[in-house]
Amino acid sequence: MYRARRALALAGVSGLILTLGAACGGDDGDGGDDGDNGSGDGATSAPWILGTTESITAMDPAGSYDFGSWNVQYNVFEQLLTIPASAEEPVGDAAESCEYNDPKTITCTLREGLKFSNGDDLTSSDVLFSLKRNIEIADPNGSSVLLYNISDGAEENPTLAEGAIETPDDLTVVFHLNAADTTFLKLLSTATTSIVDEDVFPADELLADDAIIGSGPYKLSQYKPGEQAVFEANETYDGPRTPKADQVFVQYFSDPAPLKTAIENGDVDIAWRTLSPTDINSLEDGGKVEVIRGEGSEFRYWVWQLQNDVPKEKAVRQAAAQIIDRDAITANAYDGTTAPSYSIVPPGFGGQKDSFKEKYGEPDVDKAAALLEAAGVKTPVKITLGYTPTHYGPNAVDEANEFADQLTQSGLFEVKIESTEWEEYQTLYKDGAYDLFILGWYPDILDADNYLTPFIRDGGFFQNGYSNEEVNTLLDSELAETDPAAREEQIGQLQDIVAEDVPLIPSWNGQNVAVTTDKIDGVQETLDPTYIFRFWGISKSE
Amino acid sequence: MRHWVRTIWNTRGLARWILLAGLVLVVAFVVMAVLAPWIAPYDFNQTRVDGDKLPKLAHPSGEHWLGTNDQFFDIWSRVVWGARTALEVIVLSVLFSILIGVPLGLVSGFIGGWADRALVFVMDSLYALPSLLLAIVFSFLLRDALGGGIVAAALSLTCIYIPQYFRVVRNTTVSVKQSVYVEAARAIGAPPTTIMRKYLFGNVVQSVPVIGTLNAADALSTLAALGFLGFGIQPTEASEWGYDLSRALDDAQAGTWWPALFPGLAIILLITGLTLVGEGLNETLNPSLRRRRLVPVRMPAMGPSDHYGALPTPGRGPGGRP
Amino acid sequence: MSSSSGGSLARYIAVRLLLVIPMIWVLLTIVFVLLRVAPGDPVSAAVGGKLSEDALDTRRHALGIDRPLIVQYLDYLGDVVRLDFGHTISDNRPILDVIRDQGGATMTLTIGAFLFAILIGVPLGRVAGRYRDTATDAGIRIFGVVSYAAPIFWVGIMLVLVVVKLFPGWPTYDIASVQTKFLVEPKTHVLLLDTILAGDGEAVKDVLQHHVLPCFTLGLLLSGVIIRLVRVNVIQALQGDYIEAARARGIPERQVVRRHAFRNALVPVITVIGLQVALTLSGAILTERTFNWPGLGTELVQYVTARDYVAVQGLVTFFALVVVIVSLLVDILNALVDPRVRY
Repeated sequence: MYRARRALALAGVSGLILTLGAACGGDDGDGGDDGDNGSGDGATSAPWILGTTESITAMDPAGSYDFGSWNVQYNVFEQLLTIPASAEEPVGDAAESCEYNDPKTITCTLREGLKFSNGDDLTSSDVLFSLKRNIEIADPNGSSVLLYNISDGAEENPTLAEGAIETPDDLTVVFHLNAADTTFLKLLSTATTSIVDEDVFPADELLADDAIIGSGPYKLSQYKPGEQAVFEANETYDGPRTPKADQVFVQYFSDPAPLKTAIENGDVDIAWRTLSPTDINSLEDGGKVEVIRGEGSEFRYWVWQLQNDVPKEKAVRQAAAQIIDRDAITANAYDGTTAPSYSIVPPGFGGQKDSFKEKYGEPDVDKAAALLEAAGVKTPVKITLGYTPTHYGPNAVDEANEFADQLTQSGLFEVKIESTEWEEYQTLYKDGAYDLFILGWYPDILDADNYLTPFIRDGGFFQNGYSNEEVNTLLDSELAETDPAAREEQIGQLQDIVAEDVPLIPSWNGQNVAVTTDKIDGVQETLDPTYIFRFWGISKSE
Repeated sequence: MRHWVRTIWNTRGLARWILLAGLVLVVAFVVMAVLAPWIAPYDFNQTRVDGDKLPKLAHPSGEHWLGTNDQFFDIWSRVVWGARTALEVIVLSVLFSILIGVPLGLVSGFIGGWADRALVFVMDSLYALPSLLLAIVFSFLLRDALGGGIVAAALSLTCIYIPQYFRVVRNTTVSVKQSVYVEAARAIGAPPTTIMRKYLFGNVVQSVPVIGTLNAADALSTLAALGFLGFGIQPTEASEWGYDLSRALDDAQAGTWWPALFPGLAIILLITGLTLVGEGLNETLNPSLRRRRLVPVRMPAMGPSDHYGALPTPGRGPGGRP
Repeated sequence: MSSSSGGSLARYIAVRLLLVIPMIWVLLTIVFVLLRVAPGDPVSAAVGGKLSEDALDTRRHALGIDRPLIVQYLDYLGDVVRLDFGHTISDNRPILDVIRDQGGATMTLTIGAFLFAILIGVPLGRVAGRYRDTATDAGIRIFGVVSYAAPIFWVGIMLVLVVVKLFPGWPTYDIASVQTKFLVEPKTHVLLLDTILAGDGEAVKDVLQHHVLPCFTLGLLLSGVIIRLVRVNVIQALQGDYIEAARARGIPERQVVRRHAFRNALVPVITVIGLQVALTLSGAILTERTFNWPGLGTELVQYVTARDYVAVQGLVTFFALVVVIVSLLVDILNALVDPRVRY
């Protein structure tokens, strides 16, 4: 039964790939190569090396909330669901399917015969265990906050909410959420819900990094913190994410300069996160390596501090939104490596619309002047603009300079630029030291709500004093709305309100960029807004 | 002072020229710093001229002597204004260090006893910390409290160098304290402050200029390192060579050499100048190294010439007595 | 700080060793105070841009960093006395593990740098001292000053650019290739020693090749100091009475210089190396950043940026300990060799 299924799956996949290969006309070698490998169940690609400046906080899913760690977890563990490369909706990973019974109940059915890399069986009790320990350990570096909907929310010693997860049998998991939440399926595809072996991982503390055991396509063979991690194909894995390469090395760099040299000379095969715009452009011009760009979901935005007097006036906020020239910022501060953002929600998310473009159109000083005059605001308006010099990369200062320049040149604003290091910056902006300040954001889950609730509900996590009843009501309803079309409508409304009230001004969305040598294949697909770097689909030809 | 000038003048050989070369370099930068508003064609954070943006990464040309960098700044202006920043930070930090370290060392050496021992202990401990580390931590600490990059940078460098001045001054004080004329002064009833002021101060302060210039060189190096690591002065506050270097390095790898070369040269030249002044002073004022202009006649009263090490070493006999 | 005359060498050493403890305590306290008083904490550094103030407070409470400072201080001291330096806050590694894993790399880097510095500095210093006040002397002295003045990171990157052009394929970053690091067994946790112990010739060569650039860069910085010192000592030695006497006896100048002056000039070099350890460690931090060297310097900068108190305290203490112990060793050497030093 098990083997027949596997043969069927493989045949299906090979058939699909062969068809695709034929459709592509076979001009690039991709289709052909994949066709050859698809029928075998082994990996035949040469080992390859990834260089990155991301660092690892913890390999244990209960102890991390950062890119570097999550990426390892995506490759070493299975989650109930996963978002395939360049797709929007999650599909089954460890689970065959997960479905809503009602807005507060979800049933997941696991695939049969799942095993961890050490041979242990993966059953629903492992799922329960993984989520429970995540909430209970509540590691200060961890992401258990994301599991608020199944947590009892206790201040001290939090644990699973009563009856939040049921496991009627080995293959079934039922979730009972605290409140209706249509984004929960996407949450089940994030690294924080990775399934760990209950016989190996302790229930009350994190497991040492080099001891982790998962059921994903790769297993961790060596980890030297701050230096490198070595992954080898997991023989017991038989899901859809078949690994192409037997061995993958990840080298950790503390500084982008040696990473750039390394990729240029082919010492690493792929460089992913984070090279500066100058580096990327010069690598592209150099022609020795390929620069591959995909859609990203990084978000950079300017927040108005409504607790201060000047930003309280809506016309002031709108005027700045009317003046901002995003193309100039992209060109001058980022050498064209970012994409101007016209909405609080980035493109590619259900319900997204470019509300700021619709409302304000092209940068226009006269329109801004009219806005201010209509509201009786005296110009030039004096504002303090704040930024932080290192946390968001060295180009943040360039963006600050550029934006301040645009505002000053219009004659309507008098801008004082100030900056502080990240630690103090956070306290200062909440205390109202700046009228307008820059922040950056990466989504936890790929849903429009992840760009809305954290920002515009009652001041947002940055406490900028913006609170709007209509917004709060809309947020509640979109979270509970099960009809996708209606939900998108509501999300669109929210964006329009943001463009009208301007609690923040969106600046740009980042691209997901990787640099590879010409021997590497399979990177383009994985460069999508999830920022999941899928090792399994990547291969290196010799 | 006149005595020093005469001593320098009477020295034969390279030492004089070294001192001179160093002075020339340092004076050149001082001039740049003082006259910056008149020498530099643009302001240190100016990116526009008459409403037009300056070009990015433009080659050195008649328009922009040293070219422009990737932040749209004119490099020659950044170098000139950077001289001002560098000198401000150096002067402030050396001044603070001397103002705190020298009196502390003098008083501590004079008083002796437990207070002295404790202070020596603390200072020795501080000395064991790599200076860059301390500077990083202090720059975090002070930068936001003081709101100004330059003062914060200067103070973070100060804290590193106080132990050095303290040590040298204290040890010299301790040895001079034993001399006959100080005893005599005490015998006739001179109060401690008079003794310290009249007799000790002139003696112990001799080594300070040498250490001062060498510390200035070190301070600049540390400032550049802080800028490189990202803990330094922001480009919107002032022009700082180390920061410009850090921004220029990946351009350099792409073949654009001028944003990296000129700030780098500026750092090297100023540090070299300060070091040469320090070395020169040492060679001319240190009797065991000095070569006199006159024919070397061996007189029986010549002091021992087997001093250990180049700098006036603490605790190993009188240093730098004229 | 010399004890009363008549004491033995053993007592001197014992006293100095005992003094190490209060010294470390003073340093620990200073660093603790500095770090805690500075704005920011590990929580805001890591997730300040994502979570609400309440969530941040919960995490701070979980870490215990919202307790009164004096309580945290005493707690930390208590742990240190039991030799428990704790775990890093930002990535949960035991501090001692960090030192063990990364310390070896910094050690081989600094030792290699000293070797280069001596190789470059001593011969040049001798020549400069011997031919004092000539053009050669001037040239060498200028080289010494400039090599010290040039920022290490600048020199490093320039060297990398040059090497990449002239010797393509020569490793320019990290301590070894990924394969070497994967295959070698970490017995001593010093990669060079481990490869030697494993008897893997290829791996040893790989590691040594990787050492060349960073050690040379750092060594260049240090050579300036050594040139200056050796030169001065050669000059002073050449002025000594016994040199005059040797010359008067008709011994050829060459022999005079070689046998008497040069030999004496070497002794203070050891002293200076001891005194320059702090400088070397500062230089090592910058060098490690430039060459992506997996040493303690890189870790330190990372932890400072992350405001990881525990990690920074532990590492700074370790650095200071190293400086203190090396100074102690040097002083003992001096005491043994130089009868003028009273103990």
